[in-house]
Amino acid sequence: MISLGPDQRTPAKVYSNDVKPKWCPGCGDFGALSAIYKALAAVGRPPHEIAFVSGVGCSGRIPEYTSAYGFNSLAGRALPIAQGIKMARPELLVLAAGGDADGFSVGGGHISHAIRRNPDLTYMVMDNQVMGSAGGQPSPTAPCGSSAPGSACPSMAAPINPVLYALAYGAHFVAQGIAGDPEGLAKLIEEAIRFPGFAFINIQSPCAAFGTPNMKASTPRTAVRKLGAEGHNPANRLMAIELAEAFGSIVYTGVFYRNPNPPPTFGSLIAALQKGSAIKDADAIA
Amino acid sequence: MKGAVIGIAGSSQDGITAFGDALIDALALEGYFAILSGRSGDPVRGGEASCRIRFGTTPVLNSGGVLDLAIVLDWKDFSLLSGELSVGPETVVVHDGKQGSGAAALPSAGVRPAATVPVPISEIAARSGGESLAKDGVVLGLVVAWLGLPKRRMLACISRRYRSKGKTALTAFRRAFLAGVEFADQHPLARDLSIDPSPARGAGRRVADGNEMCARAALFAGCKFFAAYPIAPAGGITQFLQRDIWKHGGTFLAAEDEIAAAAAAVGASYAGVKSMTATSGPGFSLQTEVLGLASAVELPLVCVNVQRGGPATGMPTTQEQADLFAAVFSAHGDNVRPVLAPTSVADTFDVTVEAFNIAEHYQTPVIVLTDRDLALSKAVLEPINPSQFNIIDRLEPTKAELRKYARFQLTDAGISPISRPGMRGGSYLAAGMEHDERGTPTTSGEIHARMTRKRLNKLNPLKARRDLFLFEGDPDAHIGLVSWGNVSGIVREAVRMARAKGIKVKLLVPRLLYPVAEVVYEDFFASLRRCVVVEQSHQGQLHRLLKMWTTPPREYMSVSKSGANRISPHEVVKLIQAMEQPATERFRTHYCDLLNVI
Repeated sequence: MISLGPDQRTPAKVYSNDVKPKWCPGCGDFGALSAIYKALAAVGRPPHEIAFVSGVGCSGRIPEYTSAYGFNSLAGRALPIAQGIKMARPELLVLAAGGDADGFSVGGGHISHAIRRNPDLTYMVMDNQVMGSAGGQPSPTAPCGSSAPGSACPSMAAPINPVLYALAYGAHFVAQGIAGDPEGLAKLIEEAIRFPGFAFINIQSPCAAFGTPNMKASTPRTAVRKLGAEGHNPANRLMAIELAEAFGSIVYTGVFYRNPNPPPTFGSLIAALQKGSAIKDADAIA
Repeated sequence: MKGAVIGIAGSSQDGITAFGDALIDALALEGYFAILSGRSGDPVRGGEASCRIRFGTTPVLNSGGVLDLAIVLDWKDFSLLSGELSVGPETVVVHDGKQGSGAAALPSAGVRPAATVPVPISEIAARSGGESLAKDGVVLGLVVAWLGLPKRRMLACISRRYRSKGKTALTAFRRAFLAGVEFADQHPLARDLSIDPSPARGAGRRVADGNEMCARAALFAGCKFFAAYPIAPAGGITQFLQRDIWKHGGTFLAAEDEIAAAAAAVGASYAGVKSMTATSGPGFSLQTEVLGLASAVELPLVCVNVQRGGPATGMPTTQEQADLFAAVFSAHGDNVRPVLAPTSVADTFDVTVEAFNIAEHYQTPVIVLTDRDLALSKAVLEPINPSQFNIIDRLEPTKAELRKYARFQLTDAGISPISRPGMRGGSYLAAGMEHDERGTPTTSGEIHARMTRKRLNKLNPLKARRDLFLFEGDPDAHIGLVSWGNVSGIVREAVRMARAKGIKVKLLVPRLLYPVAEVVYEDFFASLRRCVVVEQSHQGQLHRLLKMWTTPPREYMSVSKSGANRISPHEVVKLIQAMEQPATERFRTHYCDLLNVI
């Protein structure tokens, strides 16, 4: 569990910096970024104790716009890098963020293993169904048959359902938010950070440049429903899976699943193996 | 005799690995130096297995050429492994009497060994313990007796290894050993193989393979994070570290693939700890993008590539030195990262410690190119003196520097203090995108040029590191050789043999392969008329690499065989003799004839 900083009323601006985001007007990532500031303020850890890792792409730039230690790495490799950081310095608050293609295409193989290990870190995916910075190709969450301006042919594969994917692999905290509701999203991110273990949040963050009208910030509010208002019990994993099946027609926001009895984290297993270790480096040749 | 080379081949269920391990341990304790190398099939599925052990009263540089004593438990297995176990006119061939004389199976047609001796190995083994598993005991008894080694002490040492197998097995083993000794005593060999007594007992020496020495060196250098994905022949490094790194307060990640392993290691390094990953060719290919990232964000990282036969899956259980181009060139963009190669099992320790020091000092990934033979060969090693090593840690910013911190600050040496998460005032963005001194991504061509210069120029002092080269021979010789990695041990011995014949020759062995230290080669080439680079890759990769950066002597050639084809010291001596030929044409003829090179 992340311990609270001494000042719980840290202002959100402590987590921003003076770099002007290079995003298109109307990009969902603005909302996601402001939600991240708010969530970090609520948690209260000082910025220098936070390591924020991303892959590449538009949302890969998020760490650049925070006052935390940032690592804008390679396409798809945010999770292994974040895990290396957390293993080396378990006392840090470690966040990972990236786009849907970054997470589910090039880095897709890493998510399941991060879930299996259950390191205490939070992974946020900005899901906009399109590869924005690459020029508008359909991403792995785009519906089959959907077209995108940067691709001469439509998507020819069924989409990945991020929430169902995370649930199916056994993630102990799975939530979804929308960039258009930074207040609600901030609460989800805060809860994810406080969750002791791997926490996954899918964030519907529309692309202003290449998204289809349906995906843009103007997404009809009717298609967005709050899980809380639906009376969903986040301890019910099977119900969470059923609700996740609504992918493509209804955007549920809120916590799909939160394991009420979280298993040991990867870090606690490591600590157990290290227990009592007092061997000096030079003993390696004893 | 001052030493001997013994080879044994049979099925992987014949206890051949146990034979080799037991023998080298006992020889080490007795005070002999030795190198043990072997090949083994699957212990469950079966398959052929072999080992060769070379030992002597003075340090052993390589696993030798033609065998003095060949032990054949199965002719078919023996002929499959003829590349490892060469039989010559001086070899005594001992075979299990259950099988025929096997003359047809003798690998080199026309070779008539000094003697072919049938011994009822299976029968004695069955009599001793009723188990075929005691064959290794019989063979150990034969070897110890025929080589005139102290029987009682050898048996006492060897027995210790077998104690864990239980009382019945131990009794059977001891009985088999003594029966082997008895047979040998009653049947002296046509060629006397008695070995001189060792000058002193070998207390304090260690028997270890290259993988173990690499892992120990990592821990010694302060490595606190290791991540890997299983792959042969790098597995030994992982096995050691996944057991021991916790005791040193470090962590191990069983990564989902080699990309994740390298990426996690970069993450750990970003968090401020010394980190390493180890793999072999296929995994190394996967890691190249992450290595480029480590170069771009100037993070220390040690990446060990235990070379094996390639490309693709290639030959996972065989030796090759064909990943030099991959180590040097497999990164996109203008990029340089140091590549080091150990020259022996013992040197694997030194080079790995050096790799950490270079990585930390220069804030760069460092590639350690070991190879299958170094990684899996066991050697008797002198104790390591820890005070001979200076352990370097990365430069951290001072409190004053943190007040106005720029992670990638341009400095005269190109090295900027490096902060880590948790350090107040040290926050920065590590960006794989080109960035300015503060870490902010940029598209400026001017900044790109400046930062590229910083990342490349900071490594220049490495080129003056003469201590990363081994030199041997006559400094003013007209003929010289260059060799690297495991093969350099063979060439070193050949140079000594040639010099003992009165030939003036010299040898340069780079442990730093890249960046190419131009001045060191210029000095070496100065007296040379002819130079040959000896290595184990079809293309002669070091030979070609040196052509790119240095001006070699006019007659500059490559002797290279692709992996799994042994180069013997005697072959290299013949090469040196050919190099002595005054006329160029005569040299070329000899050179091509002798080594089948095109």
